[in-house]
Amino acid sequence: MSENLLETLSVLILLSSFVLMANKRISSYIKSFRIQSLLIALAAGVMGVRSLLDEGRWDIMIVCILIVVLKVIYIPGLLNRTYASVRYKVEKDFILNIPILVLVCCGLVVFSYFTLATIDGSSQGMSNMQLVNSVSVIWIGLFFMISRKKALGQIIGFLVIENGLYITAMLATQGMPFIVDLGIFIDLVTFVLIMGMLTFRMNDQFDSIDTDQLNNLKG
Amino acid sequence: MGFLLLVIPIIALLLLFILKAKRLHHLVSVSSAVLLLIIAATLTHDVILYGAIAYSSLGGFFYLDALSMMILDIVLTIGLMAAIFSIGYLEEEVRQGKLPVPKIRLYYMLMVTFIFTMVLALTVRNMGLMWIAIEATTLASAFLVGFYNNRYALEAAWKYVIICSVGIAVALLGIILLHLSSAGILENGSFLDWTALYANAASLKGSVLRLAFIFILVGFGTKAGLAPMHTWLPDAHSQAPSPISAMLSGVLLNSAMYGIIRTTAIVNHNQGSSSFAGRLLIGIGILSIATAAVFILTQKDYKRLLAYSSIEHMGIIAVAIGIFTPLSIFGGLLHMINHSLTKSMLFLSAGNIMQRYDTKQIFKIKGILKTLPVSGTVFLLGLFAIAGTPPFSVFASEFSITAAIFNQSSLWVGMVFILLLAVVFAGIAVTLFKMFYGQPDSTEAADAKTGEINIPGTVCLVVLLAAVTAGGVYLPETIRELIIQAQGIVLSII
Repeated sequence: MSENLLETLSVLILLSSFVLMANKRISSYIKSFRIQSLLIALAAGVMGVRSLLDEGRWDIMIVCILIVVLKVIYIPGLLNRTYASVRYKVEKDFILNIPILVLVCCGLVVFSYFTLATIDGSSQGMSNMQLVNSVSVIWIGLFFMISRKKALGQIIGFLVIENGLYITAMLATQGMPFIVDLGIFIDLVTFVLIMGMLTFRMNDQFDSIDTDQLNNLKG
Repeated sequence: MGFLLLVIPIIALLLLFILKAKRLHHLVSVSSAVLLLIIAATLTHDVILYGAIAYSSLGGFFYLDALSMMILDIVLTIGLMAAIFSIGYLEEEVRQGKLPVPKIRLYYMLMVTFIFTMVLALTVRNMGLMWIAIEATTLASAFLVGFYNNRYALEAAWKYVIICSVGIAVALLGIILLHLSSAGILENGSFLDWTALYANAASLKGSVLRLAFIFILVGFGTKAGLAPMHTWLPDAHSQAPSPISAMLSGVLLNSAMYGIIRTTAIVNHNQGSSSFAGRLLIGIGILSIATAAVFILTQKDYKRLLAYSSIEHMGIIAVAIGIFTPLSIFGGLLHMINHSLTKSMLFLSAGNIMQRYDTKQIFKIKGILKTLPVSGTVFLLGLFAIAGTPPFSVFASEFSITAAIFNQSSLWVGMVFILLLAVVFAGIAVTLFKMFYGQPDSTEAADAKTGEINIPGTVCLVVLLAAVTAGGVYLPETIRELIIQAQGIVLSII
């Protein structure tokens, strides 16, 4: 039962990264990221309940609560604050147009299928498809960073990569050691704070948050 | 005892936070660096005598063996040099009006945090925690790279954080796969534990492990500045304040390389031969040296040139680790030490030059030896040293690596390697030696008196130069013993 649920959730998480890729407004990036994090929190919740009932372990439950607090509430809130203070609301110039970007994402899923299909999955009843789905989220996040030129888009791309890594770790290996999870959260929050601050400074210095402005250092 | 390594930076951070006077900030930073070095010295002694140090308290995450001890010693030595140099450097920046006084405190707080994260990366046994600490080094140094807060510094900082974080995210995927390869073999408590992975290396799943190695090489390779993932490095190293550039080049790159070495040891142990990891490492190493050679030949900015030279040396170390014979590992580890000392010496003297001339452009600088007799001499000799001329220490380690390549009868690799080193030497000679010729411009000479600016910093330079020169002819027994033990760990002949 929980296995089916996880399978469904992992597909939904992949789908949410497609939705993100098709977005044009920076505010909808933040919304899509929030939905994706919520789905990840649900997956963590399912696994947490299972491990609590089977082995009496609390750590995945705590991680689930942390995801809700940090990735669903705190970080999107922070991003919204940054967003409110910059002028650019809509991305106009993509490297490719959106339908092609989405098609490339499909290609990325196929690519990760072929890299990972040969790997014998873990012994803990995880199907290879879940691994493929979650690794695809990482590549899509990376591709999202490349395709967007605004600073906020790049920050969200990185957060999606982190989400993908997180769901990979959780599905593939029943969660990292608890202390590692905690450390990753601390790093993530620091990252968002630092990047937010740099975005403000960029907005001051260049009067825009277009990362194409950052082209003075060469050679 | 070992926990003090982690506690002292935290105490220093608190003191910096509480204390107000500028003088005390300098004092706290230097004295914490001295204390850390003293502790490291006693721990080195213990490691050489008893092997690895581990404590069972706090989940048993603290772990030091000869390999991490060696790199930790480098970190703390360079950390001390940078701390002493910073005093004069910052005072001069304040005097020139480039830096408001309150920012000194911020600078030291970030620097102490930076050292803390590097010490953490080197003293944990869990690969996951090591990853976290290495990611934290990026975050801790982001504002140091962008410290001057102008357009260029901002661009460098942005690129630095984005590229390194994404790179290191790839390494995390590698570590997850490493975890996956050990599923069903390791106990719950020893997940991602390096010693456990190493001990059970033979029974890990080979296919997953190979995939994991590729991701870890790309990920930590980004942080170590290996081409083609090196693009953040010249920007970050040239924009950061000079003592920070010295630490980035001399220390941070080694910490990332350390992650690669640890993983290589597991993978080679598992595969029973070094051919898989070796080929990847040699390829990426040669590519890095070649990239650096091209950019050094055409460089106009001396700090960027030094940064490219760091890429070259990381490439040399990657090749040495890839060859994976006792001689090459010895040479590679020795090269880490030599490169760190020489490169930080160069970056620090470049800091003095930059404060005197107020430019990073090579063609605007003439007659350094007249205006800055000591820093100029150190810079000149340092350039010879970093290019690998005898009698300096870099020559000794480069020579043993080259010998190891030919011993292993990788004739083509050896020839390309030597050719590229020659190109780099020529590049440094052609581009940088212009700075030493000619008379200082008359306009410069009017306001710039001859003589050194930063006296304590200059003493550091002389100490480093002495160490680099002595290291070429004589390797102290303690250091040799430490390197040999580290070599044993990498090659699994303990």
